[in-house]
Amino acid sequence: MAFNSVRYILVQGLVSLKRNLWLSLASILTVAVSLILLGSSIIFLANTATIAKTFESQVQIAVFLDDKLNDGQVVAIQNRIKNLPGIESVTLTTKEQALWEFQESMSTTSLLEDLGGINPFPDKITIVATDPKLVQGIASQVEKISGVESVRYGQGILEKLLAFTNWLRWIGVAVVAAFTFAALLLISLSIKTNVNSREKEIQIMRLVGASNSFIRWPFIIEGLVVGLVGALVAVVAVGFAYSWLLQYIISTLAFIPVVANQQFLLMVFLIMMLGGMLMGTLASVISVRKFLRF
Amino acid sequence: MIKLKNVSKIYPNGARALMGVNLRIAKGEFVFLVGPSGAGKSTLIKLLYREEIATRGQVLINNINLVRLKNSQIPALRRNMGVIFQDFKLLPNKTVFENVAFALQVIGKNKKEIRESTLSMLDLVGLSSKVKAFPSELSGGEQQRVCVARALVNRPGLLIADEPTGNLDVDTAWGIVDLLDKINKYGTTVVMATHALQIVEQMNKRVVRVEGGRIIEDKAGEEVRIGI
Ligand SMILES: Nc1ncnc2c1ncn2[C@@H]1O[C@H](COP(=O)(O)OP(=O)(O)OP(=O)(O)O)[C@@H](O)[C@H]1O
Ligand SMILES: [Mg+2]
Repeated sequence: MAFNSVRYILVQGLVSLKRNLWLSLASILTVAVSLILLGSSIIFLANTATIAKTFESQVQIAVFLDDKLNDGQVVAIQNRIKNLPGIESVTLTTKEQALWEFQESMSTTSLLEDLGGINPFPDKITIVATDPKLVQGIASQVEKISGVESVRYGQGILEKLLAFTNWLRWIGVAVVAAFTFAALLLISLSIKTNVNSREKEIQIMRLVGASNSFIRWPFIIEGLVVGLVGALVAVVAVGFAYSWLLQYIISTLAFIPVVANQQFLLMVFLIMMLGGMLMGTLASVISVRKFLRF
Repeated sequence: MIKLKNVSKIYPNGARALMGVNLRIAKGEFVFLVGPSGAGKSTLIKLLYREEIATRGQVLINNINLVRLKNSQIPALRRNMGVIFQDFKLLPNKTVFENVAFALQVIGKNKKEIRESTLSMLDLVGLSSKVKAFPSELSGGEQQRVCVARALVNRPGLLIADEPTGNLDVDTAWGIVDLLDKINKYGTTVVMATHALQIVEQMNKRVVRVEGGRIIEDKAGEEVRIGI
């Protein structure tokens, strides 16, 4: 297509955006909202995935022993555990060590006296499994050993987290879909308004033999621009919000593992931009087919 | 140039607008299409620029059957013909120049071509002094001249007019008809539907009379008669 035509089509596309300023703004905003939701869902899911992974790799079993056991019995239990399958390591923390560590962390020297001479800490054995999947099996076996008071591991936390993420994924999909639909409707409405307001012009264009694509392109450009501007707004919003959130988390909740990877963020932004363009083009192609029958 | 073979047009609502119409128009002819209201004149004209499709028969322009024409081929067809109407169909927010240039702009001509063709065509229709005026600043006759210029700016071989003088007083109407006659003398075939019987009579051109969807009379023009 000739340069003149391209310029004409571009100008027409932009002029009609201006003509329906409020409708265009509303369309841009809905596109932006749906893309913000899309972008933050992706970021959120990526983060929960990392958190889940971190949890997984940290799964340990804490075994608390009966207070009345003597040192020999404790060592015996420790050896029995060592011989179970799937054990990576077994570490004993005696009640004296536990008290001492706690005392250290409280920076006091008279904790035992303050507690009335009774050490409230039990002996503790920490087990690390070779595979997180084995944790539950090991735990139930250890529980049966006599002299074991209680066994604690991340019972269900991981499962709950994963279930929650799954659930959230679907909610995210539904909400993004709803907003995308709204955006498509709005873009389509604004194109319909433009087709109507340009009815006479289009009629004349057909009369003098303008090609169908020539008549259609300005509307498609219009949709594309709406999608692109909406995507830009969304990228800026998500970008600022996430970097603020990252800073907040890193400075106050440093133990939460976050995804701050540049490449990952660039990819999310790229997805958002492509999503915006796709939404805009799709909406205009559909509505042009519907409202500009040939 | 134009051949209608046994053409019938029945609208979706069942209205029989044309029935078994046969018509041949040669290159360079000037033909008036007359008949009472509802006779089928506009329908016949719409078949020629492929706004409507014949229900039966063939509509041939330069041996191309418009009944079979694909939608994507309509632009090419229309670039080879000009159409004007009773209501002028000018864009109110564009100047005279821009209205005429528009026809070239939307078919992708370059700026220089557009400027030259537009100015020479506005000169031909006698509007050189009004290029910057807006349609609302023009008389009805002047507006129709702009339409003629727009219809012809791409130098088509055929001009189709559906009651082009319907909104004009007698003197102004004559001005338009004289203009069409001049264009015809330069070689453009003209087909004009009209109710202006006085003009039709005085022009002594070929007259095709339509009534109830049929051609009931086809009277050759004076020049042709002299030729015989
Ligand atoms: N789009 C349409 N749908 C249904 N019927 C139509 C349509 N257009 C025209 N008709 C009918 O077809 C017949 C011929 O109409 P047409 O407009 O061709 O007449 P005409 O000769 O141009 O009349 P006029 O001199 O009043 O313009 C009329 O009976 C009319 O009601
Ligand atoms: Mg009519």
